[in-house]
Amino acid sequence: MLKFTEIDRANPSKRGVMERIKDFREVYEVYEEDQAIDQAERCMQCGDPYCHTKCPLHNIIPAWLKQVANKDLELAFNISNETSPFPEILGRICPQDVLCEGDCSLNETHGAISIGSIETHITESGFTKGLKPKFNTNSTKGKVAVVGSGPAGMSVAYFLLREGVEVHMFERANKAGGLLTYGIPGFKLEKQRVQRRIDFMIDAGMKLTLNCEVGKDISFESLENDYDSVFIGIGATKGKFAGINGEDGNNVHLAMDFLTAVQKRELDEEVENFIDVKAKKVVVVGGGDTAMDCVRTSVREGASSVKCLYRRDEANMPGSKKEVVNSKEEGVEFVFNVSPVSIEASGINLQKTTLSEADESGRQRVSIIDGSDYLEEADVIIMALGFDQELPQFIKDSGVELDKWGGVIINLDTKQTSKNKVYCGGDAVRGADLAVTAAADGKAAAKAIVASLNI
Amino acid sequence: MGCNLDKLTSFKDNCGFGLVAHLKNKPSHQNLEDAIESLSRMMHRGAVAADGKSGDGSGLLLSMPDEFMRKTANELGVDLPETYAVAMIFSTEDGEIDTFKKHCANNNLKVVLTREVPLDTNALGKQALEILPNIVQVFVIPQCLVSHERFDALLYLTRKECEHELKSNPDFYIPTFSSKVIAYKGLVMPTTIKQFYKDLNDEDFKITFSLFHQRFSTNTLPRWRLAQPFRGVAHNGEINSIDANRFNVNVKMETIDSDVFSDEELQRIFPILQDGGSDSASLDNMFEFLIANGMDFFKAARSLVPAPWQNSPHMDADLRAFYEYSSTCFEAWDGPAAVSLTDGKHIGCLIDRNGLRPSKYLITKDDRLFVTSEYGTVHVDDDNVLERGRLQSGEMIGLDLNYGKVLKEDDINNYLKSSQNYSKWLANDMEYLQEHVEATFADHSEYSFTDLEKKQRYFNISYEVLDQMIEPMAKDAKEPTGSMGDDTPLACFSTKHRNFTDFFRQKFAQVTNPPIDPYREKIVMSLNTGFGHIHNVLKEQDSFAKRIKATSPILMKEKMDVLVSYGDENHDRYDSYYKNKTFSTSFKTNLKVSLESLYQDVKNSIVNDKISIVLLDDRSLSSSEKLIPMPLAIGYINQHLKSDNVRQSVSIVAVTGEVYDPHSAAVLIAFGATAIYPYMMYSSVISHNERKNLSEKALIKKIKNTQISINGGLMKIMSKMGIATVASYRNSSLFDVIGLSDEIISDCFEKANSDLAGLCYEDIEKRIELSHFDAFVNDKTMFPLEMGGIYKYIDGGEYHDFGPAITKAINHTKDLKGLKTLIEGRDKKFIRDFFDFKSDKKEISIDNVESKNEIFKRFAAAAMSCGSISVEAHEAIAIAMNTIGGSSNSGEGGEDAARFGTLKNSKIKQVASGRFGVTPAYLRSADELQIKVAQGAKPGEGGQLPGSKVNAMIATLRHTTEGVTLISPPPHHDIYSIEDLAQLIFDLKQVNPKATVTVKLVSTIGVGTIAAGVAKAYADKIIISGADGGTGAAPLTSIKHTGNAWELGLAEAHNSLKANHLREMVHVQADGGLKTGIDVVKAAMLGAESYAFGTPLLTILGCKILRICHTNKCSVGVATQNEELREKFSGTVERLIEYFDFLAQDVREILASLGYSSLDEIIGRSDLLEVIDDEFAKKFDFQNVLRRIDGIDTCQVKSNDPYDKNEESHELLKKVMGTIDDPSKPITINAEIGNLNRSFGALTSGEIAARYGDAGLAPDTINFNLKGVAGQSFGAFLSKGVSIYLDGAGNDYVGKGMSGGKIIINPAQQGEEFSGAGNTCLYGATGGKLYVRANVGERFAVRNSGCITIVEGTGDNACEYMTGGIMVTLGRTGINFGAGMTGGLAFVYDKDREFIDNMNQELIEHVRIDTDDEETERIYLKKLLKDYIVETKSEKAQFIMDNFRAEIRNFWMVKPKNMTVLPLNPFEGE
Repeated sequence: MLKFTEIDRANPSKRGVMERIKDFREVYEVYEEDQAIDQAERCMQCGDPYCHTKCPLHNIIPAWLKQVANKDLELAFNISNETSPFPEILGRICPQDVLCEGDCSLNETHGAISIGSIETHITESGFTKGLKPKFNTNSTKGKVAVVGSGPAGMSVAYFLLREGVEVHMFERANKAGGLLTYGIPGFKLEKQRVQRRIDFMIDAGMKLTLNCEVGKDISFESLENDYDSVFIGIGATKGKFAGINGEDGNNVHLAMDFLTAVQKRELDEEVENFIDVKAKKVVVVGGGDTAMDCVRTSVREGASSVKCLYRRDEANMPGSKKEVVNSKEEGVEFVFNVSPVSIEASGINLQKTTLSEADESGRQRVSIIDGSDYLEEADVIIMALGFDQELPQFIKDSGVELDKWGGVIINLDTKQTSKNKVYCGGDAVRGADLAVTAAADGKAAAKAIVASLNI
Repeated sequence: MGCNLDKLTSFKDNCGFGLVAHLKNKPSHQNLEDAIESLSRMMHRGAVAADGKSGDGSGLLLSMPDEFMRKTANELGVDLPETYAVAMIFSTEDGEIDTFKKHCANNNLKVVLTREVPLDTNALGKQALEILPNIVQVFVIPQCLVSHERFDALLYLTRKECEHELKSNPDFYIPTFSSKVIAYKGLVMPTTIKQFYKDLNDEDFKITFSLFHQRFSTNTLPRWRLAQPFRGVAHNGEINSIDANRFNVNVKMETIDSDVFSDEELQRIFPILQDGGSDSASLDNMFEFLIANGMDFFKAARSLVPAPWQNSPHMDADLRAFYEYSSTCFEAWDGPAAVSLTDGKHIGCLIDRNGLRPSKYLITKDDRLFVTSEYGTVHVDDDNVLERGRLQSGEMIGLDLNYGKVLKEDDINNYLKSSQNYSKWLANDMEYLQEHVEATFADHSEYSFTDLEKKQRYFNISYEVLDQMIEPMAKDAKEPTGSMGDDTPLACFSTKHRNFTDFFRQKFAQVTNPPIDPYREKIVMSLNTGFGHIHNVLKEQDSFAKRIKATSPILMKEKMDVLVSYGDENHDRYDSYYKNKTFSTSFKTNLKVSLESLYQDVKNSIVNDKISIVLLDDRSLSSSEKLIPMPLAIGYINQHLKSDNVRQSVSIVAVTGEVYDPHSAAVLIAFGATAIYPYMMYSSVISHNERKNLSEKALIKKIKNTQISINGGLMKIMSKMGIATVASYRNSSLFDVIGLSDEIISDCFEKANSDLAGLCYEDIEKRIELSHFDAFVNDKTMFPLEMGGIYKYIDGGEYHDFGPAITKAINHTKDLKGLKTLIEGRDKKFIRDFFDFKSDKKEISIDNVESKNEIFKRFAAAAMSCGSISVEAHEAIAIAMNTIGGSSNSGEGGEDAARFGTLKNSKIKQVASGRFGVTPAYLRSADELQIKVAQGAKPGEGGQLPGSKVNAMIATLRHTTEGVTLISPPPHHDIYSIEDLAQLIFDLKQVNPKATVTVKLVSTIGVGTIAAGVAKAYADKIIISGADGGTGAAPLTSIKHTGNAWELGLAEAHNSLKANHLREMVHVQADGGLKTGIDVVKAAMLGAESYAFGTPLLTILGCKILRICHTNKCSVGVATQNEELREKFSGTVERLIEYFDFLAQDVREILASLGYSSLDEIIGRSDLLEVIDDEFAKKFDFQNVLRRIDGIDTCQVKSNDPYDKNEESHELLKKVMGTIDDPSKPITINAEIGNLNRSFGALTSGEIAARYGDAGLAPDTINFNLKGVAGQSFGAFLSKGVSIYLDGAGNDYVGKGMSGGKIIINPAQQGEEFSGAGNTCLYGATGGKLYVRANVGERFAVRNSGCITIVEGTGDNACEYMTGGIMVTLGRTGINFGAGMTGGLAFVYDKDREFIDNMNQELIEHVRIDTDDEETERIYLKKLLKDYIVETKSEKAQFIMDNFRAEIRNFWMVKPKNMTVLPLNPFEGE
C-alpha cells in the first residue's frame, strides 16, 4: 500500500471514440487484475477513511482496496458485497468524483484512488471466478412486498433476502431494474448487469411480478394485508420543464422520455413515440448526469450536431466530471453561461449569463447579461432539468402522512412512514437523486424491517 | 481501590548509600568517622530542605560497638555477659517499651538494662523534631543457656511478635534488635547525625563496619522509621517488581518448614512483611527472614537479586545451574538496585542485573573497604589506594569478617556453584516441554471451529483486528506500529463492544526507576516459565529441582498436549505431581455467582484431588454459553487461592480466545496466569490466510510469528516497568484499572491501582450479554466479522475524537464556532465531558476579563521534532507561537542554529533520552528546557528513526551522518532514579541558569508521587501529559493501552503537590487532546496553569489523521521529510493564529460567564466543576478528579532553586569571564576539586555558548588543572575552547553532552585495574575529546555522536546507541558492547581474545586492522595514540606504541555493519 508516490492514478481504458459511438455498449473496460492491484496499492489506508465516510452506503473502501492489493479477491468481494447491494453497478454509475474519490485524502495532492473502477473489478472478477452473493435461504423471518424494482427496491430486496426474509417485488414495467434498466444508457451500464442481479435474487427465492402496477393491477391494501411490511421504491419519474414559452412544441422532449425510448428499443421492446434524432441538430438543456446521458445518446443515435446548454460555467456543473470529458470526446459541444428564454420551431432563444459572488450557501448566483439574447438553432430540444416525485394515487389513498409539498414523510434512519408497516425510500422520497443514495435507503429500510420482524 | 486519597502522600525513595569495613574486622572509631564523612559527602543524593537540617532521613547500620556498649552498661551498673543484644527502639506511646519487654520475657530473654539514648535535638529540623519518637535502647541477655544461634532466633521472634502487637501505631519501630549490629538513624542529616546521637562522639564507640544510607523520598512527609539502613539491608534504587515479590513472599510462606523455628513459632513470626514499608523495607524483611532461618548469606542475596543467567551464554554452566535451581522458588526482586547487606558475619554489596545503580569500591593498603555511590567520599591518599573499582551489572562483592578476605564476584560464584551439585539435580528432575515436542505449530487440529466467525465476533476479532494486529504479527513477527495518538473513549465509557482487558492500563517506569531497552539489552530479559509447586525456600534438596519448564508462557497445541499428558494417568509421562484439571469458564447467567462457584470448584480440586495445574478453558463458548472474562477468572482465583493458603502448589494456565495481542497476554500474567494458550489467535491466522495458498511451512511460520510477537510484546511491556523476567512480572498487578467497581477490584484485582470506580458485575454481565447476542444471534451473511473501528475510524464503530467530520472541519473551516459546537457535542466520551461548570459567582462583562495576550502566554505547542514533522510545519508552529507570545517546542531532535534568536526559534528546547542535537548553544537558546521523561503515546519506550529517513537535514540537526539509524533509548541513561533527575536538572540549570527546567510526565495512578519527587529535585515546571498524546511511531498496543487520561494524572499531581506543600514551588502544565476553551478551563480547574496542544495544530496545518506518519508518506507534507510531499504542505501561520485567537476568546467568554476575570483565579478550583446530571455518569466515582484539598493552588516562585548553589563554579566563572569576553587572552586556572563540586564546567560552557554558539572558543583558551575526585557530570556540555586536566578521578556522567573542548583524566594509579571515571560518560556528546588513563564505568560513550575518546577499559554496554565519534579502549570491555551502535567507530585492544563474546553482534562487526586494506585506519589509530601519550603519559599506550607492529594485531576495529564511509578525520575534535 501507500504507493501513491510511485504509481500515478490511471483510469481504466476506454474504447476508442469512433468505435464506441457506434453502439450502446459500455465505454469503460474493466481493470485487469494487475492494474487493479497497482491502483489499489496507491491507497494510504487512512486513519480517517473519508472515502468510506462520504459513501452513502459507507462501503469499507480501504479494506477491499487492501485485499485487492493482497490478492485476496474473495475477501475483497465479500467485504464489498457486504455493504453494497450491487457494487459492480455502482462502481460504474456512481459519480465517484463528488463522493468517495472526491473525498479521498489523495484527491487534492496526488489524484484520488480510482475507487469506482476497482469496485467494479472486484465484483466482476469475483463473478467470473464463480463468487456469488450469499443469501440466507434457510430461515423465513417474514414476508415483505417491494413496490418498484429500481435501485432502492433492489437494495431493500437484497438485504432482506440475505437475512432470510421472503421478498415479493412488483414492477409495472416489462423488465426489472427501474432507472438502472431504462434510465441509464447502456454505454454507462449494460443491461445484463442489472438482470444478473435480479436473477441472483430470484434464485434466492424472490418473487418478481412484472407488468404489475400497484393501484391498478393489484391494490395497495392487499399488499398491506398480505405482507409483514411494504417498501415503496417507485422513484421520481416526472421530468421538469423550464417553464418557458414554447415548451409545448413537438420539438421539445423530456430527457427521460428520450432515454427510455432508446433503451426500450435496445431491449427490443415495443416503443411508442420514439424520438428520432438522426441527422438532426440536438440541444440538451441542463448540466447534470442526465443531460450527459442525453447528449451521448444523441451522438449514438446519429444526430448531426449535439450541444449541451448550461446556465453556469464548467466548474459548476453538478454531474460527474468524467462524463463531461467523455461527452466532449464524443463530439458534444458545450455552451456554458446561457439561460433558456423561449422555444420556437427553429430552435431555442438564450440569454447569456454571468456568475455573481457566492451567496450564503457558497454557491454563486446566476445573473443575466442584458441584451445578450440570441437563438440557438435546433431541431430537437431535450429538457434535462431534473425530476419531481410523482406520487401515485395509491400512496395518497394509503393514509401515510405527507408533507405540505405532497412528499411522503419518513423517519430518516429507518425509512419508515407514518404507517408502521410501510417504508419508503429512494427518489420517491428524495426527488431525483443518485442510485447510491437510493441503495442506501433500501439498506437502511431493510435493517429496520428485519429489526421489526425480530420482535 | 477507587478512592486514591492515600496516593497523594505515598512515596518512592532513592538515595546515596554505601558501606565501610575493616578487612580484618578490627574495630575503630575511625571506621565510624569514615562512614559519617562518606555519607556527608553524598548529601546531594538525598533531599535537603532549605534549613540544611531537614531531609528525608539518613542512618548507619553498625557492627555492635562492643566496647562502648559494655562501658555504657557498666556505668549504669550492669556487667554484660559475653552474649547480649541491644534493641534500638523508636516509640511514641506509653507502654510500648513494656510490651516489648513482655515479649522478651515470653521468649526467655532477660532485660538487663533500658537506656534513653542521649540526643541533641538542636540537630533536628522543625518537622523532624515535631515527630521525634522516644529513642530507647534495651539490653537483653539469654534467660538460660542457649546457643548463640538460638539467641539470635529468639531476638527475631521477639521483635516480630512485638511488631505485630503494636501494629496499630505506625510510628512504633524497632530499627534493630541484634547481638551483632545496631542502627543509628532517623530524620537527621549526615552532617548532624553525630551531633544528634551523642553516642557517636564517644571515642570508645568503635566499629568494624558500617552500612550507611541517605534517603531521597518523593514526598515531604518523612517518618523516622523510614530511614535506612534496615536490619540487614541498605538499598539504593527501586524494586520494580515489588508487588509481585510481596505476593510471592506470602505464597512461599505456605510451605515454610524451618530448622530454626518451630511451626508454632513461624506462625508467631508471620506475616514477615511489615505493613507500610517501602520496597526496600520489604526486601529487607525477606532477606532477614532467610538469614534468621539459617540460610547462607550469599545464597540469600543472590537468590533475591540474581545475575541475569537465562540468556547469558557467557556464564559458567554450573553457576547457571545454581541460578536455575534457585529460580524454582525465587523470582528476582527486579529493578534498579544497589544493595548493601550484612548478617553481622558478612557484609556485601551487589547490584542489579542491569547495572542501573552505581556502586564503586575502594580498597586501601591499610585494610579498609569502601563501597559507595560515588568515588571521593572519603579522603584517601593516592599512595594508599590498593584498588579502585566498581561493580558491573549483576555483580557482588563481599567480605567475610571472620577471615578478613574480600570476596570478589568470581569467589562468590565459585562458592555458590560448588555448594551443591545443582547441575545434576536439574538434569534429573527438570523437564522442558520443548524436549517432548517434535515440531511446534504444526498440529492445527484444535484451531478449526465450525462457528469460528461467531466466536471471533464474540472475542471482538474484527476485520480490523485481523488486518491491523494479527496479520501484521503473523507477517513480521512483531507487534505492528501505529502513529498519532489514541482518540477513543475509555472502555468504561464506551458504548461499543470492548475487550475486558481494555479496562487495564499498563504501568510504566518514570523518574524513580528506569525502563529497560528490551531489544538492545535483551541479554537481561527472560520469559522462562516453570510449572510446579513452590517448595520450602529455606531448604535445598535435589527433588526441589522438579519443574516443567517452557521458554515462553505462550503455548501452542503441541506443548499444551505435553503439559497435559503429565497429568494423564494413561500416559507414560504421568506424574501425579503434575496432576491437572480443566475448568470451563463459561456461564449462562449471573456472572458473580458463576465466578464464585468456579473458584470453589478449583479450590476443591486442589485441596481434594491435589491437582497442581489449573486449566481455565473458554472453548465452551457457544450460542448458549457466555464467558466469564478471563482476567476476572484468573484474578479472582489467584487472589483467593492465596488468601486460602493453597496458592503455592498451583500453576494457572489460561486456554483462551481473549488473548491475541501482547496487552491481553500481559494482563493475564500480571494477575497470576503462568501460561496462556491463545488458540483463537492461531485459528484467526489460519482462517485469514486460508485463501492464500500458503505452503504448510509458510503457514506454520505465520502462526509461530504471532507467538514470537506476543513474546516480544510481553518483554516490551515488562521492560516498560523495568522488569526483566516474566517470573518477576507474574502476580505484579502492574496495571491501572479504570472504571470497574470497588467490589470487582477487591475480589479480583486488589493489588492493582484503580480509579473512576464504576461498573459492577451486573454492568459487565449486561455488556457480555450484548456481545454474545451480537455474536451469536445477529448474523452477517457476506462478510461475517465486524469491521472494527478501534484503531482507525469506521462508521458505526468506536467514537474517535479526531474522526473524519471533526478533522475535516479543522482542516478547512473558517467557522470555528461551528467546529467548537461539533466537538462539544460529542457527549460523555472523555472524563471532562462528565463535568459541568458550577460557578459561585454571577456572570461578568467580558471587558473585565484578562486579555487574550495574557491567555496566549499560557499556550504551548507540544513537543514535535523537526524530523517527525517537516521543517515547514515545525517553523510554522514556531512562528505562530512566537507571534502570539506562547511557546513552541523543538521536540527531540535538535534545531537549526540559524533559527536561534529569530521568530523561528522554539522557546522550549527538549532534552530527551536520545539527546539528539543537545549542545550548549541549543540549551542556551531556550527559555525553557524540557526533560521528556515519558511520552503520552508510548511512556516507558524508546524510539527509532530508520536510517532511510535520516536525510542530510536531520543528520545535521542531530549531529550525525546521513543514513545512520537513530535510536532513542527507553530510559534517560542519566536518570535511573530521582537523585539522578535532580542531578540532570542541576546540570541544565548550570548551563542555562535563566531557563525554566521542566519535567514531562505521563498520567498514571501514582504520578502525584513522582511529581512531588520531581518538585523536590528542583524542577520549575511539571507537565502532566495524557496517554492520548501523539507520536510519529509507536507499537499499537502502547498507543492504546498505556498511561491514563490527563484528567486523572493532573488532579492527582496537583493534589499531591499540595499535600506535600510543594505546589507553590512548581508550575503545572497539562496536555492531551485539548481542543476548545472548555477543555482549557476544565484543565485549569483541575490544576493546570498552562496548556499544550499537539495534534490540533498539525490538523490546522493540514494533517488529515491518516495515521501513516511512521511511513514518511504523509501526503499533505506535515509529517514527512520527502521533498516532493513537503511541496504539498499547505498550512499557514495565519490559520494557527486564528485558532489560538478563537481559543483564547472562548476561554475569556467562559470566564466571563463564570464571573471570573482571569485564569489565575480558577486554577485548582475543582469545586467549580460538578458531575453532570446523568444516569450513566452516576455509575462512576469521580472523587479523585474533583478532589480539592486545602493549600496553595498555583506556583508562587520564579524558579525552584537547588539547595546546592554551586558557589565554587560561580567563583571560577568570575575568574574566566574576562577571557570569555575577550578570548584572545587565554587563561589557566589551577584548583583542587572534590566530589561535592558537581557539573564542573557547565556554567562556563553555557556562558561561552551564549556568546559564541557551538563554535565556542579557540582550542585551549580556558584551561583548568585540577586535583582530586570530581563530582558528577564533570565537564558536562563542555564548549569548544575549554580544556580540563584532572589529576584524580571523575564520577558518573563525565563529559555528558560535551560539544567540544577536552577532558584529560590522569589518576595516580593508571591502567585498567583502576577506575578513572564512573558510569554513563559522554552520554549524548557531540564533539570534543576525552582521555582517561584508567578504566571507566558502565555504558561508556552511550549515544556518543562526535567525541573522540581513549580509555583503558570499560564496563558493560559500552558504545550503546553510539551514532558517531571514535572510541578507543586499551583494556577490557564489559558485556553487550555496541548494542544499538549505528554510527562511529571503536578500536578495542583485546589481548586476551575475549572481546568477541562481549560484543552485541546485532548491528556491529569487528575487523582486524593489520592488513594493507586497513592502512588508513591503522595510521589513524596510531595518530590518536600518539596524542593520547602526549596528554596522559599512559604506560600502556606507550607500551603499545613501542611494540606497535606486534600490538596492532591485538586491536579490533568495530563498526556498524552497513557503514561504508568511515568517519576518520583526525582534524575533528581539538
